[in-house]
Amino acid sequence: MSPSRAHIWFAGPAILLMFVILILPIFIAAGLSFTNYSLGNDGAQFVGFQNYERIFTRSTYEKMFIATFTYVGVVVPLTVGLGLGAALLINSVTRFGDIYKTIYFLPVMAALLAMAIVWEFALHPTIGIINATLTRGCGTFLENWSWYAQGCERTFPLWLTDRDYAIWTVSFIGVWQGFGFNMVLYLAGLTSIPRELYHAAEMDGAKSGWDRFRLVTWPMLGPTTVFVVTISCIRSFQVFDTVEAFYPQGGGPGKSVFVMMFAIYEKAIQQNLMGIGAAITVVFLGFVMMLTLIQRWLVERRVHYT
Amino acid sequence: MTDAVLDNTPSLAKPSSDGSVFRFSTTEAMKHAVLIVGALIVLLPFYVMVSYSLKAPSEIMTQTGGFFGTQELFRDDFCIKLGNAAEDCMVRPIIYNYTTAFEKAPLLRYMLNGVIVTFSIFIIQVIVALPCAYALSKLRWWGRETVFALVLFCLLIPVHAIALPLYIMLSKVGLTNSYAALIIPWTISVFGIFLMRQFFMTVPDDLIDAARMDGMSEYSIIWNVMLPTAIPALLAFAIFSVVAHWNDYFWPRIVITGNRDLFTPPLGLREFKGDADGDNFGPMMATAVVIVTPLIVAFLIAQRRFIEGITLSGMK
Repeated sequence: MSPSRAHIWFAGPAILLMFVILILPIFIAAGLSFTNYSLGNDGAQFVGFQNYERIFTRSTYEKMFIATFTYVGVVVPLTVGLGLGAALLINSVTRFGDIYKTIYFLPVMAALLAMAIVWEFALHPTIGIINATLTRGCGTFLENWSWYAQGCERTFPLWLTDRDYAIWTVSFIGVWQGFGFNMVLYLAGLTSIPRELYHAAEMDGAKSGWDRFRLVTWPMLGPTTVFVVTISCIRSFQVFDTVEAFYPQGGGPGKSVFVMMFAIYEKAIQQNLMGIGAAITVVFLGFVMMLTLIQRWLVERRVHYT
Repeated sequence: MTDAVLDNTPSLAKPSSDGSVFRFSTTEAMKHAVLIVGALIVLLPFYVMVSYSLKAPSEIMTQTGGFFGTQELFRDDFCIKLGNAAEDCMVRPIIYNYTTAFEKAPLLRYMLNGVIVTFSIFIIQVIVALPCAYALSKLRWWGRETVFALVLFCLLIPVHAIALPLYIMLSKVGLTNSYAALIIPWTISVFGIFLMRQFFMTVPDDLIDAARMDGMSEYSIIWNVMLPTAIPALLAFAIFSVVAHWNDYFWPRIVITGNRDLFTPPLGLREFKGDADGDNFGPMMATAVVIVTPLIVAFLIAQRRFIEGITLSGMK
C-alpha cells in the first residue's frame, strides 16, 4: 500500500462507522419523530408535529421535564460543590488525604445498578439500616427537631415510595455516586496552580484563606469548573439505572421520578411507541448538544485568567 | 502543593505544609471530622452490601448479628422442599449466600459475558481508532481537517441518547439478542480517536521518517512504532472503556430481552432482584458483591492509573 493511499484505509473504517452508528441514527430519530411508527407495523403514518405537541402539552411529559430538571438541578450543583469542597479539604490536610480520595472515588467504580439495589435495602422502611438508625435516635435531643419527632411518633419516611421524598432520594444517590468523580478532576486542577500565585496574592494583601480562594484558586479552576459542570449535566441528564431499579414500571410515585431516559425506554421499548420515543430522543439530544456547545464556547473564550 | 488553600490562619499553614512536624491544630481536626463523616456516608452502602451477603435471612430481617452475623447454622427451606431430611439442610449463612448466588442464577456465565463484551469492545475500538488517529495526526491528505471536524462533532453525541434509533436499526437487521448487539454501538469511540490523535501529535516526525527509511510500511508503523509509544495513553483508555462497559446497564437492558445466556452482570443482578423473596436477600447481596468486586479490587491495586483513566475525559 502506497503512503498516498494509506489514509483511506486508516481513516475509512472509522469514518464509515461514525456515519452509520452516530450520525445516521440522529436522522432516523428525527424522521421517526414525525410518524407513529412502531416495530412490526410497517404502515407508519406521517403525523406532523403531533408527537412534539404531546411532549410539550400532556401532563405526563410535563412531569417528565419536572423530574429531569429537578434531578439535574439538584445533582449538578451538589456534585460540583461537594467535589470542589472535598478536593480543597483533601488538598489542605497534611495526613491521610489519599485515603479519603480512595474512599470517595469508590462509588464511581461500582456498578450503579448494583449499588442502587443496595441503597434500596438500606432505605427499606422496615428492614433498612437507615430508618432503624433514625429510630434509635428517638427520645434524645434530636426530637426537638419537629421533623424528627414526627418520624418517631409515626414512622420515618418511606424514602423511595413517598411522593414527597422519591425524587430527592434518587437525587441523593446521584450525588453520592458522582461527586468523587468531580473531586478527582478538581484535585488535578488544584495541582496545576502555580504556588507562586499564592505568594503573590499574599504580598498583595490577600490575608485570609477566603481571599486566597477568591483571588487565586477559584479563577484558576475556571476551566476545570466549566468542564466539570458540563460533564455533570450530561451525566445526570442520562440517569437511568437507579430509576429503573427502583421503579421498573411507571417512573415512581405519581410519576415524580419519570426522567427522560426512562421515558424513552418506557414509551419506545416497553410500549413500542417509537414515534413518541424518537421525539423525546430528539429533544434530549437538543439539550445535551446545546450544553456541550456552551461549554466549548466558554472554553474558547478562555474563562481562565492566565 | 497547595496545602494552604483553605487554611483560615496563614501562620498555621506554613509549618504544617511540609508535613514533617506533627502539631495538633483545631482546623486540621475539624477538616478530618468533616472528611470522616463524608467517608462514612460514602461507605454505608458498601457496608450494607458486604454485611448482608454474610448474614442469615433472619438476621437480616431482625437486624441483629452485627457486621458478620453469628454464622449459626440455619435451615434451608428450599432444601427441605426437595425432600431432604432437616438435619441435612442446615447451612452456614455465608456459604449458603455465596453458593446460592452462583447456583440459582448462572452468575459465572454472566461474568464471562461481561468479560467477552468489555474486551471485544476495547479491542475493536483500538483497531478502529488507532489507524484513524495516525492518519489524522501524521499523514497529510485532502479532507483531513474535515474529518477531524467530524470527530469533534461526534464527540457531542452520547451513544445512550441515540439508543432508540440504534435499537431500531439493529432489530431491522435481526441482531437484537446477540453479542453483536451488545458490542456494535460501541465499536466506534470518537473519544478514543480524539485522545490518540492528541497523543500522536506529540510523537516526533523523525521517528516515523526513520521507520519509513528502514522500509517499514505505514501499516506496520502504526502497530510497531506508534502503538508502543502510546501504551500509557492506551492503558488509561482501556480502563476508561472497560469500567464504562462492565458497569453499563441501559444498553444491555434494551437489546437483550429474555435470553439469559447473553446477560451481562448488571442484567443478571437485576433479574435476580425481580424474583427475590425474603430468603434471597443474602444471595442477592452476594451477587452484588461478586459483580462489584473485580473493578474495586483492580482500582485499589492500581489507583493512580484508574483515576487517570476515568478522568481522561477531562483532558482537553
